Amino acid sequence: MTFDFMAVWNNRDILIEGILNTLLISVIAIPVGICIGVFVCLLRISKARLLRWPAIAYIEVMRNIPLLILIFMVFYALPFYGVRLSGLTTGFICLSIYGGAYFAEVFRGGVEAVSQGQFDAAKALGLKYGFYMRRVIFPQLYSYVFPPATNIALTMIKESSLLSMITVAELTYAAHEINGRTFTPVETFTTIALIYWGISIVFLKLTAILQSRIEVEHIRIPIAIR
Amino acid sequence: MDLQFIEIIPKTGPLFWGALYTIFVGLLACGLGIAVGTALLLMRNSRFWLVRKFVGIYGSFIRGTPALVQILVFYYALAPLSGINVGPLTAGVMAVGFNSGAYVAEILRGGLTRIPKGQWEAAEALGLARHKIWFKIILPQVFNSVIPLLVNEFTMVIKITPLLSTITVVELTRASQMLYNETFRPVEVLLLAALIYFVICFSVSQYGEYLQRRSMKYRL
Repeated sequence: MTFDFMAVWNNRDILIEGILNTLLISVIAIPVGICIGVFVCLLRISKARLLRWPAIAYIEVMRNIPLLILIFMVFYALPFYGVRLSGLTTGFICLSIYGGAYFAEVFRGGVEAVSQGQFDAAKALGLKYGFYMRRVIFPQLYSYVFPPATNIALTMIKESSLLSMITVAELTYAAHEINGRTFTPVETFTTIALIYWGISIVFLKLTAILQSRIEVEHIRIPIAIR
Repeated sequence: MDLQFIEIIPKTGPLFWGALYTIFVGLLACGLGIAVGTALLLMRNSRFWLVRKFVGIYGSFIRGTPALVQILVFYYALAPLSGINVGPLTAGVMAVGFNSGAYVAEILRGGLTRIPKGQWEAAEALGLARHKIWFKIILPQVFNSVIPLLVNEFTMVIKITPLLSTITVVELTRASQMLYNETFRPVEVLLLAALIYFVICFSVSQYGEYLQRRSMKYRL
C-alpha cells in the first residue's frame, strides 16, 4: 500500500479554489445568518402571538429537518415555480436561513438569561424598545451568547461541505474532482479533512481572541452608557 | 405547478421503508456513539498522558471536520488501510457512530462533573477495584443524569444520516432521490421526506425536553 500525495499536490489549484469558495460561502452566510437570527429572536420573544408563532414554526422546522433536504428542496423544487437559482446562491440562502434558526435559539437563550429587572428598569426610565434592546439588553448578552454562537458558525463552515452535492465548487467538490482525475481517494479525502481541521482551528483561535476583546468591552459598557 | 399529492401517495412505499431504515441506521449509530463516548470518557480519565492527549486530538478532529468528509474518508480509506472490505452500511454506521461518540463524550463529561466527590471516596473506602467503581457506581449515575441529552443526540444522528446517501446507503434521502427521479415530482417527494424527518426529529426532541423537565423536577 503506497500513498501518492503528489497526485493531490499536482492538482493544488483546484483545492485552492475550493478553499476560497468554502471561505466565501462562510463569510457571507454567517453574518446573514446572524442578522436573521437577531430578527427572528426579536419576533420569538415578542408578546404578540401573530409575531411569535411564525417565528416558533420557522425555528422548529429548521431545527428538525436535515440541511441536505432543505438544499435539495431549494435547488430541485423551486425551479418548478419559476425560481431558478445557481448552486452558489442556493448555498448562501440555505445556509443562512438554516443557521439563522440556530442563532435565533441561542440569542433567545441569552435574552432569557438577562434578568427581568433589566427590562423593567429600562422601561421605567422611559427608553424606547429599539433603544433599550440595542443599548441595554444586547450588550449584556455578548458573553453569554458568544461561545454557542461560535459553535454554530463553525457548524455552518462545516455544513457548507453539503453544497458539493449540488455541484458548488467548494472544498469537498474539489476533492471529488481530484479523485475523479487521479483516483486517489484516500490521499484526497484525508487532505481535505486536514484542511477543514486547519480552518476550524484557525477560526476557533480567532474567535477566542475576539471573545477576550468583547469581554473587556463588556466591562466597559456600563460606564459608556452612564 | 400544482401539488399533486394524490398521484404520489400510492408510490410512496419506498419512502416509508427509507424512513424505517433511517431510524434503524440512527439507532445503530447512536449505540456505537454511546459505546465510543463511554470509552473516550474512560480514556480521558486515564493515568497515561498520551491516552488523555489522544482524546483531546480526537475530539478536536471530529468537531473540526464536516461529517460528510468523515464519512467519505471512512468509506474510501478504511478498506485499503485495514484490509477489511466493508459495505457502505457498515462504513456509514461506523463513521456516524465515531462522529457521534465525540459529542457523547462531551455530554458524559458534563454529567461526570455533577457526581459528588464523596461517591468516589466512599467506593474507594469500600475497597472496590477501579473498574468496579467506574462501571457499578459512577457510570450508572452519569448515564441517569444525561438521558435527556442523549435523546437529543439521537436527533443529531438522524440529521447526519442523509449524508449516507452519498455512499449509496438507501435511507430516506436516497429513497426520495430515487423516487423523484422516477416520478419527476421533486416538490411533492421532497416535501414528504422533509415531513417525515420533521416528525421523527420533532417527536424525539420533544420527548427529550419532557425528560429534561421531569428530571429537573426530581432533582430540586
